[in-house]
Amino acid sequence: MRRRRGPGNPEGVPRSIGRGPGNPEGVPRSIGRGPGNPEGVPRRIRGLAWITALGLVAALAAGLVVASDPRRPATAQEAPAVTVQKAHAGSATPTLKRRIVLLTIGSDAGAPKFGRGGTMESGRADALQLVVLDPVKRRGVVVSFPRDSYVPIPGHGANKINAAMALGGPRLLVATFEQLTGLTIDYYALTSFDGLTDIVNKVGKITVNVDMNLRDQFAGAFLDKGRQNLSGSQALAYARARKTLPGGDFDRSRHQGQLLLGGLATFQRQVAEDPARVMTWLGVLRDEVKTDVPFPELLRLALLATKVPPGNVRNVPVPSVAGSAGGASVVRLLPGAYTLFGRLRAGNLG
Amino acid sequence: MAAPSLPGRRLLGAPAALLLVALLAAGCTSGGREEPPGQATGTTAAPAPARPLEVQLVATAKVPEGGPSARRAAQQATPGLERFLGRYLTFAFVDAAGGEARWDSLLGLFDQPVRASARKQLDALSLGAAAANVSAVRPHRASARAVVLYGSRRPAAATVKLAFDATADTAQGSGQVHLRSVLQLLATGDGWRIAAFDSRTGPPK
Repeated sequence: MRRRRGPGNPEGVPRSIGRGPGNPEGVPRSIGRGPGNPEGVPRRIRGLAWITALGLVAALAAGLVVASDPRRPATAQEAPAVTVQKAHAGSATPTLKRRIVLLTIGSDAGAPKFGRGGTMESGRADALQLVVLDPVKRRGVVVSFPRDSYVPIPGHGANKINAAMALGGPRLLVATFEQLTGLTIDYYALTSFDGLTDIVNKVGKITVNVDMNLRDQFAGAFLDKGRQNLSGSQALAYARARKTLPGGDFDRSRHQGQLLLGGLATFQRQVAEDPARVMTWLGVLRDEVKTDVPFPELLRLALLATKVPPGNVRNVPVPSVAGSAGGASVVRLLPGAYTLFGRLRAGNLG
Repeated sequence: MAAPSLPGRRLLGAPAALLLVALLAAGCTSGGREEPPGQATGTTAAPAPARPLEVQLVATAKVPEGGPSARRAAQQATPGLERFLGRYLTFAFVDAAGGEARWDSLLGLFDQPVRASARKQLDALSLGAAAANVSAVRPHRASARAVVLYGSRRPAAATVKLAFDATADTAQGSGQVHLRSVLQLLATGDGWRIAAFDSRTGPPK
């Protein structure tokens, strides 16, 4: 529509109805009686009526064609013509048939941030947890061993269990555990002070049920009893605190098991919120842990771990008692320890 | 003031109006029947064959210290993941139509420890039992977001959030099919495999 203002049309009135010669009133030209229009119906109005009718017919016809066209796909804006598929939901994690036995090791070496030189493998194993998992029943046990447990080390006589790794690396430590428990150890996972703190910091703290008020200046552990979100340094302090604890090394090894279970619960919570967090955790483990678990198996275990209720995993300190050997303080396993190993061999994780 | 309502009368003169009607009618029968992405235009009554299914993937990568840049790693992983997801959706929906569902091809994309579970849950992963009634599936949208975990030099695993919408044709008419999945993928020597899944099909929630 052109309503151009200008000379002869100062109001911008459309030219077709402007006043002008022969139309001083500005009446539209088509209105007026005349031959063939005895009723005085404006010709343009009659024309528009026809056009409107034609348009309606055409649109109606087109609409019918569209509605009946079987090729026309449904679009997101339209209700589906038929329900092709009812709602279904499903999920699955790897089904592993056999029991998994994993030895987790915390080394006192290979941690430059804490002034611990050497390699992790050449250090003493100061944190030792035997994790036995039944993938079918989705149950597990974390058996915590005091580092001073006095046991036979293959080829080296009796010694504190933490010396096994310093004497022969993770493989000798694994052999020591296999001889002690009668269990076949499938894999080991080894980290350090640096590794533990980095793991916890990179995944964004872990939630742990701290079981006592801790004021241990030697380990730097200052924690209140209760559910706590621990940073990397707090987690390490909780894992190391010993001297001021009533149970000493026994309490410490129990706390280390609690950290593992806290990590499992934190992992599960994060993955439930964002499934891609599995990749975050695996990336952190890739960077901070040395293990002989092949990656495909590690992924399957991680996915399986998302479905194991933390309440189905018990934290069991190995039955033991303080003693001495050759003038040194050691921890001696009690008969109950061997009973426990027997039950684990039989697959009884309850 | 009558003037504003009048100017159209001249512009909508009979020729222009007829042209408009013709365009309107034409629009209703062709232009208004815009095909969705991935939909071939057909001129016969039979459903048109679908174009090859394309998955639009947005990927990020988690790389080891000292490894490739995360951006470069994500770019490298994207084509392979898109192909894998395209194969998955093709087996699960496009090829499954016509009563000739080849579930073995689909199940071959799953890691062995999860394959039996997948076989029992095909309805949540694919057309499933509905495949017998579907003559054709015409994809509208296939999009995914992935977080790829790198090993030293190559992808090792990935988490993929996959969304797929399509029209399915049945003897009773056409309807929508949808898939929303989270797939945990493992990189193997034979390509990606699904190691775990959380999936749903049917009408969106």
